[in-house]
Amino acid sequence: MLFTVAILFLIIGMDSLWLRITAGLVAMLAFGFMVSRGVADDGSNAARLAEINRDLESRLQRTTEDHRSLDHYFEMLMANVPANIYFKDTKSRFLRVNQSMASWVGRGHPRDLVGKTDHDLFGKEHADAARADELKIIRTGEAITGLVERENFPNGKIGWVLTNKMPFRDSEGNIIGTFGMSSDVSDLVDAQHDLERERNMLRSLIDAFPDKIFARDLERRYIVVNQAMAEWVGAKSPDEMIGKTPADFFPDIVVTAGKREDLRMIKTGEPVLHREWEMEAQPGNVRHYITIKVPLRDADGKMWGIVGMDRDVTEQRRAQEQAIQAEKRMQEMIDNSPAVIAMKDLEGRFLMVNRGFERVFGMDRKDILGFTDLEVIGDKVAARKFQAHDKLVAERGEALQMDEELFVGDVPHVYMSVKFPLRDLDGEVKAVGTIATDITDRKAAERSIHRMNEDLLKANEDLKRAQEQLIQAEKMESVGRLAAGVAHEVKNPLAMIGMGIELLARRISADDAQALDTLERMKRGIDRAKKIVKGLVDYSSARQLAMEPRDIPEVIGDAITLVGYPLKEARVKLVTELPPDLPKVNVDATKLEQVLVNLMINAMHAMPDGGTLTVRAYSSILSGIRRDEGSRSAGHLREGDRVLRIELDDTGSGIDEANMSKLFDPFFTTKATGSGTGLGLAVCRKIVELHHGILELENLPAGGVRASITLKV
Amino acid sequence: MDTTRILIIDDEPDFTALLKANLEEVGNFEVREVNDSSQALAAALEFQPEVCVIDVVMPGMDGGDVVAQFRAEPELRDVAILMLTALVEENPETSDGETQTGGLPFVSKTSEFSTILRCIEKHLEEHREAIATEEPARPLETWDLG
Repeated sequence: MLFTVAILFLIIGMDSLWLRITAGLVAMLAFGFMVSRGVADDGSNAARLAEINRDLESRLQRTTEDHRSLDHYFEMLMANVPANIYFKDTKSRFLRVNQSMASWVGRGHPRDLVGKTDHDLFGKEHADAARADELKIIRTGEAITGLVERENFPNGKIGWVLTNKMPFRDSEGNIIGTFGMSSDVSDLVDAQHDLERERNMLRSLIDAFPDKIFARDLERRYIVVNQAMAEWVGAKSPDEMIGKTPADFFPDIVVTAGKREDLRMIKTGEPVLHREWEMEAQPGNVRHYITIKVPLRDADGKMWGIVGMDRDVTEQRRAQEQAIQAEKRMQEMIDNSPAVIAMKDLEGRFLMVNRGFERVFGMDRKDILGFTDLEVIGDKVAARKFQAHDKLVAERGEALQMDEELFVGDVPHVYMSVKFPLRDLDGEVKAVGTIATDITDRKAAERSIHRMNEDLLKANEDLKRAQEQLIQAEKMESVGRLAAGVAHEVKNPLAMIGMGIELLARRISADDAQALDTLERMKRGIDRAKKIVKGLVDYSSARQLAMEPRDIPEVIGDAITLVGYPLKEARVKLVTELPPDLPKVNVDATKLEQVLVNLMINAMHAMPDGGTLTVRAYSSILSGIRRDEGSRSAGHLREGDRVLRIELDDTGSGIDEANMSKLFDPFFTTKATGSGTGLGLAVCRKIVELHHGILELENLPAGGVRASITLKV
Repeated sequence: MDTTRILIIDDEPDFTALLKANLEEVGNFEVREVNDSSQALAAALEFQPEVCVIDVVMPGMDGGDVVAQFRAEPELRDVAILMLTALVEENPETSDGETQTGGLPFVSKTSEFSTILRCIEKHLEEHREAIATEEPARPLETWDLG
């Protein structure tokens, strides 16, 4: 029995099906031999033997069936396994091959290969290598398994084959050849190569990364780290870190925080997307990092690790801080500027404003940014203008300076604005900046300075005129004094000569006509001199007047009476326009009469061929005083005063403009020598001035001259 | 007929000489000239004129001073005085061109001789009438010639 069990165990223990079959057969044969010998030894057990015999027969039956069945299995295997299977003898001659092998080497039937060697089928190199392998197997009895070889396939293709070669033993265990199985694993190998390449690529990639990349299992052991990570912690290579934990490389405080975070991740499954932290990398060198950590999950979604990245953002952070600080400083400067500063995009929306802007419009920048001028500024007219100006600047791409007006509430302001284009790095205009300075006060000051300047100029003019008047008046005054003195001194010799002529006239006989004529001429000369002297005296002596309220038309009437005849003689028609009810005026009637006579005689002389003399008087309110050099009375009349005006218009040839300014100078005359004293108008003016009135002469547009006397009522 | 004594007080000897010559030629006058006004009073007291023709503008004492001196002298109180001066013009409003100011008649020195003569005769006559009716002399009034 023990033997049977041992055989069974042997069969079960055998790997090879063939060996099992063979071993089974061998065990049964051995058992049958033992049984038949026992029957001969012990005839009493005939019935038991018969049963055993039946049993044996049925077993044999089963074995034969099994055998047949195994054959079938083997054939099925050989025919269908997608691999080449062969058996070779010790001389490496094919004993048996499967169909796949036959087809692969280009033979129709497995039979055709029996007795052939690799040298008949493949290249020498391959065949020699195969033979060497087989010899080795035969010598050592060791299988060559998992051999992946590069193969030139008989169909010309180059690929990879996976080969297992084993010793072929007989039932006694003697090696009688080799057998093997090889399959085309080109796809697999290629895939593996791809995978490897990919891995290498990924490896290179992560090693090339400046960021520190790692993957850890749930025990925080490093599974993968990149070069940067290794360098960061001072490891010689990434491999040195594998299997270790952060505690081996980082300070406690960092480790503790990281661990807490990892635990939270494991618990919640939430990734850490952006955590900023800092670490004193070297004494005094605090570095800033950001960390990203994402859970690693298996196909079932179960978390098994963490992959992460640490990035050193110190420089970035510093640059950022500097930028922020620079921006803050800039904003501070802009905010503290007294100017109104703003930046708008090309659609006119505010991108930036300063405090000055907020102050002017009484708004917070959060209510301004993103809005346009029209939405922010109450003064729509100004807002539209600002937009037009901005557009102009954007279009021209150059800075412009202009004055801009703006009503802030009801108060008009004037700004001196500089507008300039703001460009991006490509030089394209992206925004328009404005710096506006309130120059309202300056403008007002300018205006007031301008006004003051004008006033000063006017005052200067007035002063100059006053000075000229004064000088002229002084001149007239001294001329007056001189005239009085001269008059007196001249009159004495004149009187003396007159007396002499008187005396001589009586001594000359009446028949000495020439002598009498001479005396007569001398007399006329004296008369002329006397006339001149009289004029001078009138001019210089007219100091005091006998004033009384008089009816002016009446005075005019008296004067007309005196000149009526000469006017008629000179064919001058007299027209009077003297309305009744004119106010009485305080005048020295005699002196005024003298003036009127003088003026009328002048008018008559201005019309040698006759003409019309119009004399009118009217009352009015004084508006606009013509200042006249040499006139001392202009100061007595003021605008708005009620005045009485006497006008004498002639139809003569007018006054030569060149002579206008000299009219009132003593001794100025346009008349032929001897026919005028040149004192008439000077005396007239003097008299009118003593009345605190104004005597003026002007050319009429239609020709002729108007002499006018303005007297205060 | 008695000669009428006329005293001419004027600082211009040429004028006084010619006036004297004219007067003495046409009328029964005895004329004396005084060309230094400071000598006027003494001359008048000594000459005892009926008419004094006095210039106004003179160096030293002017005509006004002379008149005042005469008026203060009782002996000369009745002398007729005619101011003959270049300071005034002939007055067109009077027939003889005379101007009365401050109680004195003023005649322009440049008047024709006939005018001056008429004035002298007129005042002489008035003076004689006044003396006849014993009219007291008029008090001195101040006058201003500007």
